[in-house]
Amino acid sequence: MSNARMIFAGSLLLALVLSAGIGTALAQQAGTGIDVVELPSASSPLVALRLQFNVGSIHDPAGKEGLAALTTAMISDSGTQKRSYTDLVEALYPLAADINGNTDREVTLIAGIVHRDKLADFTTLLEEAVLQPGFSQADFDRNKEQLVAGLTNGLRSNDEALGLELLQDEIFQGHPYGHSPRGTVEGLKSITLDDVRAFYKQNYTQAHLMLGVAGGYPAGYVAKLRQDLSALPQGVKDSKDLPAAPKIEGRNFTLVEKQTGSVGIHFGFPLPINRAASDYYPLMVANSFLGEHRTSNGRLLQQLRSKRGLNYGDYSYIEYWANPPLTNNPSPNVPRREQYFSVWIRPVVPVDAQFALRDGLYEVQRLRDKGMTKEEFELTRDFVVNYSKLWAQSLSRRLGFMMDSRYYGMPYYIDEIDARLKNLTVDQVNAVIKKYLQTDNYDAVFVTANAQKLKETLEKDEPSPKTYNATPEPDVVEADKTIQALKVKPTSIRILPVDQVFQK
Amino acid sequence: MSVRISLWLCGLLTLATAGTVSAAGKATSGDIFPYTVSATTLANGLKVVVIPYDSPGTVAYYLVVRTGSRDEVEAGHSGFAHFFEHMMFRGTEKYPEEKYNDILKKMGADSNASTADDATTYHIVGPSSELATMMDMESDRFKNLKYSEDAFRTESLAVLGEYNKGVSNPVQPMFEKLRDLAYEKHTYKHTTIGFVADIKAMPAYYDYSRQFFNRFYRPENVVLLVVGDVQPQKVFDLAKQYYGDWKPGYKAPAIVAEPQQQEKKTGHLDWPNPTRPYLFLGYHMPAFSTRTVDSAALDMIGDLLFSESAPLYQELVVNKQWVDFIQGGTNDNRDPNLFIVLARVKSEDLMPKVKETVDRYLQQLATQPVDPQRLARTKSHERYDFALGLDTPGKVAAQVAEVLSQSGDVQDINRRFMQFEKVTPADVQRLARATFQSRNETEVTLSHPAGAPAKPAPGGAHE
Repeated sequence: MSNARMIFAGSLLLALVLSAGIGTALAQQAGTGIDVVELPSASSPLVALRLQFNVGSIHDPAGKEGLAALTTAMISDSGTQKRSYTDLVEALYPLAADINGNTDREVTLIAGIVHRDKLADFTTLLEEAVLQPGFSQADFDRNKEQLVAGLTNGLRSNDEALGLELLQDEIFQGHPYGHSPRGTVEGLKSITLDDVRAFYKQNYTQAHLMLGVAGGYPAGYVAKLRQDLSALPQGVKDSKDLPAAPKIEGRNFTLVEKQTGSVGIHFGFPLPINRAASDYYPLMVANSFLGEHRTSNGRLLQQLRSKRGLNYGDYSYIEYWANPPLTNNPSPNVPRREQYFSVWIRPVVPVDAQFALRDGLYEVQRLRDKGMTKEEFELTRDFVVNYSKLWAQSLSRRLGFMMDSRYYGMPYYIDEIDARLKNLTVDQVNAVIKKYLQTDNYDAVFVTANAQKLKETLEKDEPSPKTYNATPEPDVVEADKTIQALKVKPTSIRILPVDQVFQK
Repeated sequence: MSVRISLWLCGLLTLATAGTVSAAGKATSGDIFPYTVSATTLANGLKVVVIPYDSPGTVAYYLVVRTGSRDEVEAGHSGFAHFFEHMMFRGTEKYPEEKYNDILKKMGADSNASTADDATTYHIVGPSSELATMMDMESDRFKNLKYSEDAFRTESLAVLGEYNKGVSNPVQPMFEKLRDLAYEKHTYKHTTIGFVADIKAMPAYYDYSRQFFNRFYRPENVVLLVVGDVQPQKVFDLAKQYYGDWKPGYKAPAIVAEPQQQEKKTGHLDWPNPTRPYLFLGYHMPAFSTRTVDSAALDMIGDLLFSESAPLYQELVVNKQWVDFIQGGTNDNRDPNLFIVLARVKSEDLMPKVKETVDRYLQQLATQPVDPQRLARTKSHERYDFALGLDTPGKVAAQVAEVLSQSGDVQDINRRFMQFEKVTPADVQRLARATFQSRNETEVTLSHPAGAPAKPAPGGAHE
């Protein structure tokens, strides 16, 4: 239940035993009540519970950024009306179970996984947390303080996470997505316990809840759980209207100034499609070819890391990817109607910063200009079809992707990848590349020391020849002639001291 | 690469004895680890362990090389085991890098590797129908790795990039400092990624890298572990076919034992960016062993002290809120390593109070028997925590690989789990008393000096 353990633990455990005995996925819509997604597997010893509420940082009131996240913490990391937080974690301890909370821009997930031997005990605790949160002042003070520390001492002390998070705020400036779900320091500080109570009352309703259950639960379990959760107010299903993402004009750079030995680089722009759109699937193949996350397959990694030794890794994305430094597969239960294209260039030595940006852009431009060959397309398509099946190995993750698919109003995502990709052609892929990818209008974030010097270098926009510690391959030498002179002069550029990032 | 605070497991895993070809051990009803383990050893010394798992069409293919940063005995070569892990992806004559990657890509496989103190582990998770291809490609690179000096020099910069990406987090330099101070002789003095000066010097050591391969990448030093939709005998047959001609010749490095620490050691790091102060403590403790309950007891001490329901955690994080996180525990290692404690403290003036509080709870565990009920609840926690982590073949393989990396003995999988149930309050007290002594302690603090001028930030630049 604490984020602190994440430093070493890496990622939360939200998964189940894969079993041959997986039953047919069931789903039901109960009128105005709770939406339910079921994935029974009688032979599984584990049960996963996922409660997804349609409430996220887009519901934070102006000046109280972080209210949705703090309300989540008051459910997942706090006492209930019946027991203190101390008593709650003591009750969870022998179960080795946690109540995990995560707030994203559109939804909040309250989730847990437990051995079926302990399902009844865990259900009691989870229901208490969701239905009867304690909202004590002590829990409130602790959680608020921890969320603030997560910004001032967590994000600001982790260059990669900082850049990845800030890029989203930059791309969606002025949009409901324009602030991190983690809130701002001043926003969090202005929140009162009464704000949390009111926010909970308004948003934690049956109409906002999608209940997901997977694994080896007994007959009648889901009906009983659904009945119990009907103690939440009925509420009204109001899918908050989202304006289109703001249009980005030109190259807009933000240089986060801090004492650091290397420079992290991120750039991107809004995409008008998400995974419910047919164009998403050819673009998925193109993106995998360009920069599949944490694999050696993408050209970005092959060119920037393997051939040039610029850094540890380079990847691209066509939708939000939760916590990329610590995850290998996409996370379910973070659906967003608005998405963005982004490139993540992991820290480079300062002298290479401008070249690395140019090289990243060059690869995007090259893909747009040349497209993919038939052979590249076929190999990448086969990879994505097979690899994506590994994303849903556990029942818990499979359940999560089913819930996402419900959210987007589309068939089961992993099956959809298979079905859509098998019928794709290279021409379709190359058409969507031209339709959606470009290098003229984007936002970029640099996390760097000596920001003024980098700013001047970028503004001068002079060639940045790359020197190597080994003899580069002939194709590298040839391409570098173009890369080093690529025009990246910023349209706008600002320096942001690190202590002002996520401040207000 | 990251420090793992081990929250190990208990339960029962049955396995066959290692031999030329094993018979399978059958799990009994109610076992927390319900999988059957089969094992064999090839004539050249390669151990092969197979765990059939209900993952239709999918297999996790692991190679555990029992060489990690512990084996970096020559001065100036810290971090080399990890660097070499990178080089293993640079291809052979039969499977050049691009061809190797394309075949894995075609499979849709998840393929990667990691290096730790005691082992370097390579894995592929992919279609079980491609098992023979995996055997062919993986055995080929372990026997016939070939790369140019240019590729070697370029890859060394990716390693420097890996160092740089982590060093913005204060925990990495603190851990380096803690290890450096706590050890005088033993190679655990350096972390797995190595000292930055050694990383910068890596490009010059191409010849050394070839020696490294010839010394350590030998069948007697490796365990092949396959978990998933497979038949053990088929895996044994394929292993013999593809790995049978791999020539033995492993030479164990001469690792100097660490002498007993005589007095408390302290160190401090000034941090160039604003941060709350950190406290990092390390206490020498015994090496991992399944022969006694000690390793299991020390793992449980980690939970008794630092789980969210633990009194120490509750006092510091929940009630007094002097720290926004605290964690602690052990890591399984072949040689004596450190029980570590890490906390981020709300303000500088609270540092002494936090240290006193930690000391008080450590001493309490050393002087008073733990409540048997709490110990029983901890065993339950360990048992279910383990069960929750067995949800994919890759996770099962990772858990088993960890045990195999310690001794290479498949019997240890079983023994490891059995020891947890045997731990008594007296064991906990005995281990706490032996471990949490001032003369056995190393303390590293980190803080941002108020008003200090900006200092060069950590990290490595190109020479």
